[in-house]
Amino acid sequence: MRAIVRNRQVLVLAVGLAAAPLLAGPPPEPPPFYAIEGVRVEVGDGTVLERATVVIENGTIAAVAEDAAIPAHAWVIDGEGLTVYPGLIDAMGSLPQPRRPPGVPGAAAPGGQRRRPDPDRALPRGPEDRPLTTPWKRAADDLRLDAEAVETWRKAGVTSIAATPGDGLFPGRLSLVRLGAPGRDPEHQVIAPELAQVASLSSGGGFGSYPGALMGRVAYFRQLLLDAAHYAAVTAAYEADPSGWRRPEFDRTLAPLAAVGSGEERILLPGSSAVEINRALRLGEELGLDFALYGGQEGYRLAGELADSGVAVLVDVDWPEPLPERDRDPDADRPLREILHERLAPTTPVELAEAGVQFALSSGGANGADDFLAGVRRAIEGGLEPARALQALTRDAAAVHGLDDRIGTVATGMAADLVLADGYPWRESTRVEAVFIDGVRYAVSDGEEAEDDAENGESAREGESAGEPDETRPRGRRGPGGRGGSSEAAAPMRLAEVASKYAEVAGDSMVPMTGPYREDDVLAITGATVLTMAGETIENGTVVVRDGRIARVGSGVRPPRGAHVIDADGGYLMPGIFDAHSHISTAGGVNEGSLAVTAMVRIEDVVDPTDVAIYRALAGGVTTVNILHGSANPIGGQNQVLKLRWGQDADGMRFEGAPPGIKFALGENPKRSRSFGPGPRRYPATRMGVLDVIREAFTEAAEYRDAWARHREAEAAGERSRPPVRDLELEALVEILEGERLVHAHSYRADEILQLLRLAEELGFRIATLQHVLEGYRVADEIAAHGAGASTFSDWWAYKVEAYEAIPHNAALMADRGVLVSVNSDDAEEMRHLNHEAAKAVKWGGLSDDAALALVTINPARQFGIDDRVGSIEVGKDADLVIYDRHPLSSYAVVQTTLVDGKVYFDRELDRLRREQLAALERSLTEPADDDGGDEP
Amino acid sequence: MTRTRGRIAAAGMLALTLTAPAVPAAQTLAIEGGTVHPVSGASYTGTVVVRDGMIEAAGPDVAAPRDVVVRIDARGLHVYPGLFNAWTTLGLVEIDSVPATLDQVELGDTPHVLAVEGVHPASEIIPVTRENGITHALTAPSGGPWAGQASVILLDGWTVEEMEVEKSVGVVLEWPSLATREFDFSTFSVREKKFSEAKRDYDRTVDELGDWIEAARQYDHARSNAEPGTAVEQDHALETVATVARGELPLLVVADRARAIRDAVAFAEEHGLRLVVVSGRDAAKEADLLAEKNVPVILNSVQALPVEEDDPYDGPFAAPGELHRAGVPIAFGTFDASNARVLPYEAATAVAYGLETEAALRALTLGGAEILGLDDRLGSVDAGKWANLIVTDGDPLEVRTTVRHVIVRGRDVDLSNRHSRSYELYRGRPAPP
Repeated sequence: MRAIVRNRQVLVLAVGLAAAPLLAGPPPEPPPFYAIEGVRVEVGDGTVLERATVVIENGTIAAVAEDAAIPAHAWVIDGEGLTVYPGLIDAMGSLPQPRRPPGVPGAAAPGGQRRRPDPDRALPRGPEDRPLTTPWKRAADDLRLDAEAVETWRKAGVTSIAATPGDGLFPGRLSLVRLGAPGRDPEHQVIAPELAQVASLSSGGGFGSYPGALMGRVAYFRQLLLDAAHYAAVTAAYEADPSGWRRPEFDRTLAPLAAVGSGEERILLPGSSAVEINRALRLGEELGLDFALYGGQEGYRLAGELADSGVAVLVDVDWPEPLPERDRDPDADRPLREILHERLAPTTPVELAEAGVQFALSSGGANGADDFLAGVRRAIEGGLEPARALQALTRDAAAVHGLDDRIGTVATGMAADLVLADGYPWRESTRVEAVFIDGVRYAVSDGEEAEDDAENGESAREGESAGEPDETRPRGRRGPGGRGGSSEAAAPMRLAEVASKYAEVAGDSMVPMTGPYREDDVLAITGATVLTMAGETIENGTVVVRDGRIARVGSGVRPPRGAHVIDADGGYLMPGIFDAHSHISTAGGVNEGSLAVTAMVRIEDVVDPTDVAIYRALAGGVTTVNILHGSANPIGGQNQVLKLRWGQDADGMRFEGAPPGIKFALGENPKRSRSFGPGPRRYPATRMGVLDVIREAFTEAAEYRDAWARHREAEAAGERSRPPVRDLELEALVEILEGERLVHAHSYRADEILQLLRLAEELGFRIATLQHVLEGYRVADEIAAHGAGASTFSDWWAYKVEAYEAIPHNAALMADRGVLVSVNSDDAEEMRHLNHEAAKAVKWGGLSDDAALALVTINPARQFGIDDRVGSIEVGKDADLVIYDRHPLSSYAVVQTTLVDGKVYFDRELDRLRREQLAALERSLTEPADDDGGDEP
Repeated sequence: MTRTRGRIAAAGMLALTLTAPAVPAAQTLAIEGGTVHPVSGASYTGTVVVRDGMIEAAGPDVAAPRDVVVRIDARGLHVYPGLFNAWTTLGLVEIDSVPATLDQVELGDTPHVLAVEGVHPASEIIPVTRENGITHALTAPSGGPWAGQASVILLDGWTVEEMEVEKSVGVVLEWPSLATREFDFSTFSVREKKFSEAKRDYDRTVDELGDWIEAARQYDHARSNAEPGTAVEQDHALETVATVARGELPLLVVADRARAIRDAVAFAEEHGLRLVVVSGRDAAKEADLLAEKNVPVILNSVQALPVEEDDPYDGPFAAPGELHRAGVPIAFGTFDASNARVLPYEAATAVAYGLETEAALRALTLGGAEILGLDDRLGSVDAGKWANLIVTDGDPLEVRTTVRHVIVRGRDVDLSNRHSRSYELYRGRPAPP
């Protein structure tokens, strides 16, 4: 066999040089009968046979037992001192493809399959164009295997790869492919061509095409699977009874996804960070999918949730690591969370194992077999038991893909994909004796290894003692760095270790690393001037909070026994600020600007609860934020109101029960979007067109609503009716028509404001808020008559033509004319002092102090329909409060404490402590370890 | 309050007329009975007399002369030196998104171009800015690295000549950045670049800046020592840089990151230049160095986000106080045009987070003048200085304070502006039928 491989190498070389004689063919295959005698067996399911015989016949394990009979025709191998393992399975990776000769223009990088844009192809203009969607593809369909690269994987003990079909949003199905010598018929290496569909949310179609933002990709994902489910249902209904129906047309995109849409076929969803994992879990559950996750690198935070969900995880072992010291800016301040993530990520496998999550390991972005094994070693360094690692790499990998009845364990009847070695294949000291793939024996531990290493100028095994195998120590080019250089990756740490390290450096004054500083069932704030925003100001007042709600408010109120008391003597207590227009905490872009109407995209899909802007906003007294889609299109995406519960996940940040809404945009932004870049200009290009787009969209929405109504009537009447396809864009618009979704319209000029109000009246709905509305003062009476709220800037102007008529008196003048007005920031910095921005309405326009503060508290709460919960200090409302040292309209007022749901999320003093303690933690993580008894008690 | 009120009313009716600058001939004017905050000394209740654009007398016992034309009753009010916005693009920028109205960025290296030569005296932003008590401002070009020369202008005047305080207060140099992390728009993510690569490019650019200085010295030498018959061609760019090389003008280095600030200090020292650090987002991190080398800083917006994720949330708020306590002279700028009026509130934030009130007021007035060598004319309420004064009903750093009078070079200027006129006009809009 070795000779075969050798000759193939020669062949490859010969083709390259076009010189040597080509006629020497491979020697014949030996008969497929082997017996490995007296060998230790690690079955792959956690069990071990200390001494057994493994019989292989025709590619299958014929027997595994201590006393297994050895067929007379079998070629007997002495297994003394060796162990048989199931061949390792890369649960999700790229097949080693042939490298193109260097210097050829357009040559793909090794292992890279970057899609080159096809200039002739029109840009996708909507979900119906099925961008980057090729679910009919299978990795097995276009097998091009680089024999040499395959061999490096094989030598590493990897016998098969669950191969990805390429890039794209729905690139197709994963196939399980063996790593035997590809020979003339590489497709013979395919174990299973269709493991699962794969979805990605990371690759966009490029500038200007749909979907362009993460929220657009999520919306597309949702719509496509709904389309697929519909296709499945309609096709099934037709097949059951074709009478009276036109046959559904075959759809090559939807057909292969139909089973996914109906929850019968598995799909792999991306989820590496905790935010992504949560998003994938939500999506999968929402759509009723059979799904597993891939990536999983921040799974260490969510092991419990993953266990509860029962979802399997393909953990990418291409762990994050810092740039080598020499490539780093010595001045650069690496975020602590990045440093922590590098230490924590490799502990994901052990955390998942302990929580009982089904998981396998994948090479992900790893650069070849060495990197893959280095990643496995680092996971073991992170605490994963080697035997458990083996299970994840064999039986569990097979099980995740539903093939554990065929591969992944050393048991009778299983495929003979085996490794014969003197230790775990990932150990650097291990000598792999042979690898069996489909029963074919590949001898790997021989002179070739030395040759290979010599080519690389060093030997991975040189100088290694034959004694104790080292499970973890990074060494040579196989160090966990994995990318050629020696790695500087510090030892992995588990969450619990980080927590105890933090406790150690923080000492007695420890405050929580993140999240609220204090959580008290009962607390009282005393001594403050209480600006209730409910019509009265209470001097020397007390506010009692119970279970997150305001329980009592008054001047003579005594704190209940046992209450935590915040002494705010001399300070001012106000409802937390509500910023009605913000784009913080949003992952992957705020604009899905590719289309004129993107009512289907949802901010709630892309809330990033880890954005530090949230904490900074809390430090500015903000407790509620309305996160809006951008203003690139006349009808944008759905907004999301958040409560700034810093430390919670995206679900925990949502303001539960806040009425849903959507962004509209008028004027310069929507009309000039897509006026540059590739592809045709996107309609509209004028204010006339903007109005036309909105009117047209609602015409379509009304038709959609009617179609569903007809369908429901027909069904109710017992008639056979084909359901319309659910259209998430039109559904959102129908909700507007039904008065169930609030419209927040970005607008500047008085004329466009008026036109929109009239159009909304024509279509039968009300505009909830006009956003920016810088010329609102010119049509204040009309705005008031329509009943729209106005949410404006304090004093920004002149940044564009439609902002040149802005005046700082806008808020006050509109308020004087009876408009419900709020002042917002649209900016992560400005939001930190909205109280000072409100003060400008006192200066310019003469509002009273209370009316000015209402602009950032109770007024926006009314505009967004949550004034029963927040916006004023009244019994029964949420205890979302902020304490200032002076009157909040003073330029010198500084936020002392901010509470959300009665929990202290910001406190000036505790912030200083946390900062010091986190800095101490960072020092303890980054400074060279002091090994000499530093950990002794 | 006499004639200005009439002017406001008239302007209100006409609504769309431009704001007329005050009468060019300065009045003789007395501000009587107010609490005077001279900045150069302790506050007092007294009178300030202005003649021919200059402060003739100021003090607790000063009486208004007989020939006073305008009397301002400042009883219960406060008198301060006019505020100085020490970095803006006033007059150079009108509407940010309309290129035709932008004059602050020239192409290539143009150390010699003068901001004042591009200033549009009728910019609507100027009256809007001065309404809030800002009487003069530095206006600066950007781009480069050699952007041009910054000018200081009065925020009132029929022509730019009437507005000029100083044509050039220094040469603006935008210090090159060493960026190892850059935002990649194709993936919408931050991309890490190898430090060594970034450093190489950066060092090359810094070396080139040194070459400019050397070339300017050589040019200077050749021009002043040219033997008869030898033509040394005039080069305006080198001639300007030579004024910096000779120490006649400061080098106004726009630098934010700590490295840039350190390197700019080293550069100025190596070449013997007078340095002012401009923008200085990380300046507090280098406060000791700046204090030791006596390098002043013109600070960008205080109301700014921290640079790094782990930086304290209030880092930019607290930085002015830290610099001041370290002994670094500071001034405040807003670095734009349309927001130039919020200058006092930027300073107020610095006070809220640790800068002494007096130090903030000084930085807004005399401190900025000192940094740019204008303190012989501006920055305090003292006899002999230009009469740039404001009369307020309270602390000018408080948003709710109203500025009652703005006096620019002795002229009690009209406070109406594009905004107040629109307000008055639409406030008077009758209810629709």
